[in-house]
Amino acid sequence: MFDPLNLQVFANHTRAAAENMAYTLQRTAHSAFVKETEDFTVMLINRNGDTFGVPMGLGATWYPGLTYTRAIDMVADYKPGDVAFTNDPYSCFVATHAPDTHLWKPVFYEGEIIAWTGGHIHNTDMGGAVPASLSRALTEIHQEGIRFPPMKLVNGGVFDEDILKIMTTNVRKPDLNIGDIKALVGALNTGERKILAMVEKFGKEAFLEGAEVLLDHAEAQARDILRSMPDGTYVFVDYADEDSVEANPCRLKLTMTIKGDEAILDFTGSDPQLGSSLNVPSGGDPRHTMLLVGVYYVLYTINPKILLNTGLTRPFTCIAPQGSVLNPISPAAVGMRSLTCARLRSVIFGAFCQAVPERLPAAPAGNNCIVNVMTTDERGRTVIAAVNPVVGGGGGMPHRDGTNGSGADAAYLKNTPIEITETEVPIEFVKYGLAKDSGGAGRWRGGLATEMAFRVFSPGSRITARNRDRSFFRPWGLLGGKAAGLSDMVLNPGRDDYRRLGNIDTAILQPGDVLEIRSAGGGGRGNPLEREVWRVVRDVERGYVSAEAAERDYAVVIRDGVADEKATESLRASRSASTGHFHYGPEREGYEAQWTPAAYDLLTDILAGLPIHWRFFTKTEIFRRMKGRVGPEGVSAALADVRARFREMPEPAIEVKEAAE
Amino acid sequence: MDNAPAPGKGHLKEQDWKVGVDIGGTFIDFCALETRSGRVASLKVLTTPDDPGAELMTGLSLLAEREGLDPAAISRFVHGTTVGINTVIQRRGVSLALMTNAGFEDVIELARLRMPDVYSLFCSRPDQLISRDMVFGIPARLRADGSEAQAPDMQAVIEAVATAKARGASGIIISFLHSWRNDAQEAAVKAQIAKSAPDLFVFTSSEVWPVIREYERTTTAILNGYVHPRVSGYLTALEDKLVSRGVTAPALLTKSNGGVMNAAEGKRSCVQMLLSGTASGVIGAAWLARRAGERHILTLDIGGTSADFALIIDGEPQFGTGELIGEFPLHIPSVSVSSIGIGGGSIASVDAQGVLRVGPESAGSTPGPVCYGRGGTQATVTDAMAVCGWLGHSQMAYGQLQIDVGLARAAVSKLADQIGRTAEEAAQAILDIAISEMFVEVEKLASRAGVDLREFTLMPFGGGGPMLGAFLAREFKMAKVIGPPRPGVVSALGGLVADLRGDFIRTVFTHLSAEATPLLRKALDSLSAEGLAWLSKQGHQGPATLHVSADMHYVGQSFEIEVPVQAAWIAEGKLSPIEDAFHAMHAKLYDFDDPDGEIEIVNLRLSAIGAGPALELPVEAEHAGAAAVPEREIPVFTGKEFEWIGLYRRDLLHPGGRFSGPAVVAQEDTTFAIPAGATVDVDRHLNLHLTFSE
Repeated sequence: MFDPLNLQVFANHTRAAAENMAYTLQRTAHSAFVKETEDFTVMLINRNGDTFGVPMGLGATWYPGLTYTRAIDMVADYKPGDVAFTNDPYSCFVATHAPDTHLWKPVFYEGEIIAWTGGHIHNTDMGGAVPASLSRALTEIHQEGIRFPPMKLVNGGVFDEDILKIMTTNVRKPDLNIGDIKALVGALNTGERKILAMVEKFGKEAFLEGAEVLLDHAEAQARDILRSMPDGTYVFVDYADEDSVEANPCRLKLTMTIKGDEAILDFTGSDPQLGSSLNVPSGGDPRHTMLLVGVYYVLYTINPKILLNTGLTRPFTCIAPQGSVLNPISPAAVGMRSLTCARLRSVIFGAFCQAVPERLPAAPAGNNCIVNVMTTDERGRTVIAAVNPVVGGGGGMPHRDGTNGSGADAAYLKNTPIEITETEVPIEFVKYGLAKDSGGAGRWRGGLATEMAFRVFSPGSRITARNRDRSFFRPWGLLGGKAAGLSDMVLNPGRDDYRRLGNIDTAILQPGDVLEIRSAGGGGRGNPLEREVWRVVRDVERGYVSAEAAERDYAVVIRDGVADEKATESLRASRSASTGHFHYGPEREGYEAQWTPAAYDLLTDILAGLPIHWRFFTKTEIFRRMKGRVGPEGVSAALADVRARFREMPEPAIEVKEAAE
Repeated sequence: MDNAPAPGKGHLKEQDWKVGVDIGGTFIDFCALETRSGRVASLKVLTTPDDPGAELMTGLSLLAEREGLDPAAISRFVHGTTVGINTVIQRRGVSLALMTNAGFEDVIELARLRMPDVYSLFCSRPDQLISRDMVFGIPARLRADGSEAQAPDMQAVIEAVATAKARGASGIIISFLHSWRNDAQEAAVKAQIAKSAPDLFVFTSSEVWPVIREYERTTTAILNGYVHPRVSGYLTALEDKLVSRGVTAPALLTKSNGGVMNAAEGKRSCVQMLLSGTASGVIGAAWLARRAGERHILTLDIGGTSADFALIIDGEPQFGTGELIGEFPLHIPSVSVSSIGIGGGSIASVDAQGVLRVGPESAGSTPGPVCYGRGGTQATVTDAMAVCGWLGHSQMAYGQLQIDVGLARAAVSKLADQIGRTAEEAAQAILDIAISEMFVEVEKLASRAGVDLREFTLMPFGGGGPMLGAFLAREFKMAKVIGPPRPGVVSALGGLVADLRGDFIRTVFTHLSAEATPLLRKALDSLSAEGLAWLSKQGHQGPATLHVSADMHYVGQSFEIEVPVQAAWIAEGKLSPIEDAFHAMHAKLYDFDDPDGEIEIVNLRLSAIGAGPALELPVEAEHAGAAAVPEREIPVFTGKEFEWIGLYRRDLLHPGGRFSGPAVVAQEDTTFAIPAGATVDVDRHLNLHLTFSE
């Protein structure tokens, strides 16, 4: 029997097993994606398919609450040495875009499955319309590469060569895929060995119970945190800049109700599934891990001793209506769901920032832009390389400035040294550093944005900058803190022929062209007028804040590098603190003056009343006709125009709501 | 032969002393060997943090008093100092300015982006040793091939120096992009600063460690400059003190790479000594292991706040880069040591959900565990050992500590009450948890290195290693544990036996092809010349050993593996053995290779080694009638219940002695806990060999 006194010992052995799997995978993998970007996960899974252990130091942060149950159930007749796999986002909603290939392996003990080991790798390419299989512009899953529904990949320790042949025939970098998959199988075998060692140490019954107790413990920790929060309903909305090539905003709305030790996360009011690859395939699972990543961050931030496993998800229930961007139906494309997930996290942070603002930071920059270059070297060879990610700072914290240039929910990303990139890729960096005045002003300043500029030397050099966002909707400030600076991409800054590229994620450069990419910053926290003068002066000395911004945003007057105390005092006295729990910045305020909450409520009702395949189309057509129109009246008028133009459109079945609501 | 023959040694017929000293957080350890008689003396003295070096003199006086040591008869004096690392950890270094390329001023703040605590929204990087207002961007640029795109703007340098001085800088670090390929720009700016501000000390990144990767190279140079004045001042004072004591042997310093260097070198290459403490522990352990005939060793050094582990494979310590100095990675070759914040002083607590935990908070050495009676109130791992009965049967730390079991029991009982258990059950759980925390770290170490720990022998040392080591070994099914006779002075011994060792690097970054041969040859020639010059500057007169290796990867990978190569392969332009060696190493480390893959060679490395003294510690003859006899039986809680087990005195154990666990071996500098199932044999070097039968 499991002695609760052993819980920490059992948790440590679980973690050791998971870390061991991660090191095995990282050590033996072939691709840069797995070895360096660490876009992989490994986990220990209990008999029922629930994750009970993940590594803390390695890999991506998204899947500690992943459950494999649905995937496991779709394959029959497991035998020792079998490994099953899938990369199909729609079969069982375990994989969430085609490059992510999930594997799981039964762990047998005395003829009985007592646990599973599992994990995923991000394959460099799964075939489909574009290299790397990912582009925001894709519109259906079939363009995003070959898909394998759950099936056995390894039978009794022997790979199914037919499946491998099908894969290698369909993908652009077969050696990397096969190498990484074999490395992951090796890691699953390591995990199996470690689990059997735990069974030997603790005994079979204690092991089985221990795996449950860890989930119960994580659940208890999560419930304790929820109980410490005030009951209430917290509504928060955030937007991705562009929903598709149509370039309308993509709205995510969360209504979070905390009651006692439970929370309901209702995403009703979020956009319909999109005609781009920004959809997040959750399958409507009320505890789908992709919907809860922001929750893991909040819980871990509040209690860093929390165990990360599916137990954490139990007190939470998500509602993501079918046909919405957070629960699309096939064949909606899903490849770039990571951009939407970044916004989803900020929506969750925003909701919790109303419940416990004293315990959480303002919005992080939230645009984890991955930059790739395809160019030609002097010998005429094509060179393809990832250069530094351009990520922004964390939000201002309760007792500290936001971390500069990364942090918060982007802290897992790594950069590549300039010297390595310049030696391997024929580009030359002009700048790589922090962007002045990009952090949201506040009692605690938001972390600064990153700014990177480089020059190319050969014609037709193609740049992709995936996951760019926050070029219009700013990372928000909290409790009087200001929203942060916006992201941007500029061709040839400072030259006569300069061009702002807005939110697009690709660019073609010609010899001598310089591309500058800037991320957003982190939001500020607390009233900037209360920031100590010496901190403002120090920020100016360090070049984080300009003297002009010090005066404008902090009311600190600096002359010749020294604070003018008198002038500062009187300027501060003349200013009044900004009100409002959040500060979103002028762009969003302007946008929401037209697209009021009531306008969105009406739009949501209209779209929900249409067949799914009409919704995104109708959204786009209504947006086209909103010029000069405002609020629900504007939406009604626009809808009338749309219906007049498209007579085939079905009548939206709008539910009449109860007056009490 | 000794690498540092003392002048005038000939007339000292009676004595010839070799002295190794290691300075730790609480104690300074001496290991001294009189080579003519084979006498070994070990000693612990409390450190004097306010007057570093004073404790050294105290120790020499004590050695003179007790052992009759004549300072003039010291022919080798090696010591490891923590002045450097403490300067970083306590942030007591000097104010520095950094000159780097305009547009790249934030390289040190951004570091490599990824942060350790990736799930926390509060994750952050440490405050830099040079704040952003002391970073000066100078218009200047080298291309990746080393050619100059833009010459340094000297006017900007002059202005930056003036501003830096006005803001209080006492030294300047210069680091320009691609100086690994061409150090001329850094040298030119250094010359300019020497003209305009001769009172400032200057280090360039290429002279400290000329390796590709700007953050790693810059931060290493910064660490060097940050500790330089303090280390250099300390060494000068130390040399004066030694001379005034009549010690004529030059002071040698232990290095992070496990070797030694002379004091003049130490004053400039301060960064080389930052991790010398843990490194010499591993060197000492490797030496002891070789002597005892053990090849694969896991070392375990447990102190008050942390536990350090290292692998010794085939008798050789493992090397790595990127070890942490406080919060900053150091990128010179260092003996690989993993560390976890669990030690004898780690505090146990019960969390909100009623779960017992250990650490990461620690009572450290002040106030220390409750049972030390120095004001500690929270139960620690050491207190748990005391409650179970493993400790408290003899004085600790050469009589400087007395264990009060009653205090320990009171503290552990408080926790036990919260979870409804007996004090012994809670104490045992604390030990199990502490061991499981170490288990996680050791598992990671083994899995990174790709080794099977069942083939290894555990060697615990330090004050706490022998207390918990054998239990940890059981977790890994290691069949053997070896306990050296003086576990408290293994690091001091490591310095005593260490070689002179200098590491040198040239980044070449080229495809491994016939075209690259002249470049490789030139790099190797200059490395060899540099290595030999270094040895002769250290006063080495014997034969030199040069180890050459190459950091290589397949094109497209951006991490390298170090592969030993033969100088002749490069000299004769034989590339295929280099390729074969790389493929083989890749397959060994990563379980696959790509025989058709193009190979890039990033760095050539050379270690210049001047062998240390061939010392022999005395070997004891096996006694007949050496049977190990317990002093008495003591009650110890061995997991489930109290058992009466044997208490042995280490100084009464003789070669050939044999006994079985569970047992306790008490000695002056530690207590060795021996679990059930172990058979203990005493060898002729007085090591305890524990073997476990399944």
